[in-house]
Amino acid sequence: MTPAAAVSEAIFGLPPLLVSLTIFVLTYAVIVTERINRSVVALLGAGLMIFAGVLNQAEAFHGIDLNTISLLTGMMVIVAITQKSGVFQYVAVKAAKVVKADPWGLLVMLSVVTALFSALLDNVTTVLLIAPVTLLITDALRISPYPYLFSVIFASNIGGTSTLIGDPPNIMIGSAAGLTFNDFLFNLAPVIAVVMALTLVPIYFIWGRKLHASAEDRALVMAFNERESITDARLLKQALFVIVLVIAGFILAHSIGQEPGTIAMFGAALLLLLRVYDKQAEDQSHAIHSTFGEVEWITIFFFIGLFVVVAGIEKAGALDFMAHKIVEWTGGDFTVTAYAILWVSAVLSSVVDNIPFVATMIPVIQSMSSTFTPQQIETLWWSLSLGACLGGNGTLVGASANLVVAGLAERAGQPIRFLPFMLMAFPLMLGSIVVSSVYLWLRYL
Amino acid sequence: MTLRAVTLLPEPTCLSPDTSLLDALRRMLDKGVNHLPVCDGGVWAGLVDINDILYELLPVSARVDHGLKDLRFVGDGIPLLASHFKELANKPVREVVHHDLPTLDEDTPLLEAALLLHRHVAPLPVLDADGKFKGMLSRRTLLKHLIRTTGY
Repeated sequence: MTPAAAVSEAIFGLPPLLVSLTIFVLTYAVIVTERINRSVVALLGAGLMIFAGVLNQAEAFHGIDLNTISLLTGMMVIVAITQKSGVFQYVAVKAAKVVKADPWGLLVMLSVVTALFSALLDNVTTVLLIAPVTLLITDALRISPYPYLFSVIFASNIGGTSTLIGDPPNIMIGSAAGLTFNDFLFNLAPVIAVVMALTLVPIYFIWGRKLHASAEDRALVMAFNERESITDARLLKQALFVIVLVIAGFILAHSIGQEPGTIAMFGAALLLLLRVYDKQAEDQSHAIHSTFGEVEWITIFFFIGLFVVVAGIEKAGALDFMAHKIVEWTGGDFTVTAYAILWVSAVLSSVVDNIPFVATMIPVIQSMSSTFTPQQIETLWWSLSLGACLGGNGTLVGASANLVVAGLAERAGQPIRFLPFMLMAFPLMLGSIVVSSVYLWLRYL
Repeated sequence: MTLRAVTLLPEPTCLSPDTSLLDALRRMLDKGVNHLPVCDGGVWAGLVDINDILYELLPVSARVDHGLKDLRFVGDGIPLLASHFKELANKPVREVVHHDLPTLDEDTPLLEAALLLHRHVAPLPVLDADGKFKGMLSRRTLLKHLIRTTGY
C-alpha cells in the first residue's frame, strides 16, 4: 500500500477532498473575521490538515516554500538594520526640498519616493518610514495630510507590484513559477510606471489643484537639514553596500544559478556580520537578538501555515478541480482566462488579504499547464500579480500598508475612514486594473 | 496616622475644565509647579501634567507610535512651535486631563499614601467625606511630614 493510500484511510472513512476543503474553508473564514491573529489560525489549520491525515508531516513540510520564507526573512533583517541609519527620512526630506516644498510637487515626489521604496522594500516598512515624515511636512506647511497619506497608500501598493521583492504575492509567484527578478522588472515595471502616473491625474483634480501653502511655511520646510537625518554614517555605508550587493545578486541570480532566498539570507548574514564583528560576544548576542526580534514573525508563520493548508487541498485534488472549472467557464479561451484572473484577483484582494488568495491561486494556475502554453501561463502570472497587488488599493482593509497608515493617521488625529476612503479608492483601483487590462492586451494577448 | 494630620499644599486653586492649556501652563510657571488639579463645581475632575502640555507642542509625527525618532533635522522649529502654541490657547485642559488617578481622603493611612504617590509619580487629590476637593498631597509635602514624625 502506498503511503498516500494509507493516509486517506486514516480519515475515519471520510473523503480527503471533503475533509481538506472543510479545514481550508474554516481556516480562511476565521482569517477573514480577524478575531484571532491570522498566524495562529493558519498554523492551527496546518496542524489539522496533518492530524486529519490529509497530509503527513513530510508532505506538509514539502508544501512550505522555503525560498519565499528565506527571501522574506532575509529582507526583513536587512530593512530592520538599514532603517536605523535614517536614510529613508533623508530621501523623503530631500524630495520635499527638491520641489521647493510646493504642495502639489510634494505630493508627486512623496508618491514617487514611496513607489520606489516599495519596489525594493516591503510596503508596510515603506509606509512606516514615509508616513511620519509626511505628517511632519504637512504639519509645517499647515495643510491637510489626508491627500498625502492617501497617495502614500496608493503608491506603496502600486510600487510594490513592480518587482519580485516588492510585495509578498510577487515573492510567492516568482518562487513557484521560477520567474526571476528581471522577469518581474521587464514585465511589470513598465505598466506600473503608467499606472502610477495616471493615478496622480484624478488626485490632482480632486485635491492637488486646491493645495496651497504660504511662503513662510514653505521656507520652514526648506530650512530642514536632511543631513541631520543620517544618525549613523557607518551603518549607512554598510547597509547601502549590502543592499547594492543583494540587488545585484537578484538581477544576476538566474544567470549564476541561484535563488533569491539564498541571496537575501546571505545578504542579511553579511550585514549582521558587519554590524557585530568588532563587538564582544555578549554585545553581539544582544545586537543580533534585537535585530531578529524586529522580523515580522506573524507574517512568516502566517505563510508557513498557509502553505501547509494549501498543500492539503492541493493534494486532495481540490485545486486541480478548481483549475478545470475555471478553464471550463472560460471555454478554454486564453484571453478570457487572463482577464478573469486579473479582475477577480483585484476585486477579491481589495476586501480580503491577498496572501492567502495568491497562495491558493498558484497551484490552480500551475494545473492549467495542460491547457495553455508555458508562454500563456507566464501571462497568467502577470494577471495574478497585477490583480492581487493593485487590488489592495480598493479598500482600507485591502492591504496591511493601508491599515498601518490609517492607524498612524488615527493616532495623529487625522483619521482615514473606511467609507470615504473606499468611495475614492475603489474607482481609482478599478482604473489601475483597466490600465493593466489594456497593457495585457497590447503586450501578451 | 492618617492624612488628617498632614497639612496639604497651600492654595488648592483648581482649574476649570474649560481653562485653556496656555493659561494652565502660565499658572504652572507662575507657581513653579508641574501639576495642577482640575475641578468641576468643586468636585475633583482630574490632574493636568506639564509633560502633557510639552507633548502638545511636539509635531504629531513624533508623538505617534512608529513616528519620527528624532527631530534634529527640522532645525530649531520655532515657527512650528509657535503655531502649536496657538493651538494651546484653543485647547481646554478637559482634553488632556488625567482622570485615572486614585484619590485620597482624610482617613487614608500615611503608608498607603506613600505607596500611591510613588506609583503615580504625581501629586494626588485629597477629597473630603462628601467627595469635595480639599487639596493636593505632593511627595514633598508627605516626605516633609514623615521626616518630622519619625524624628529624623
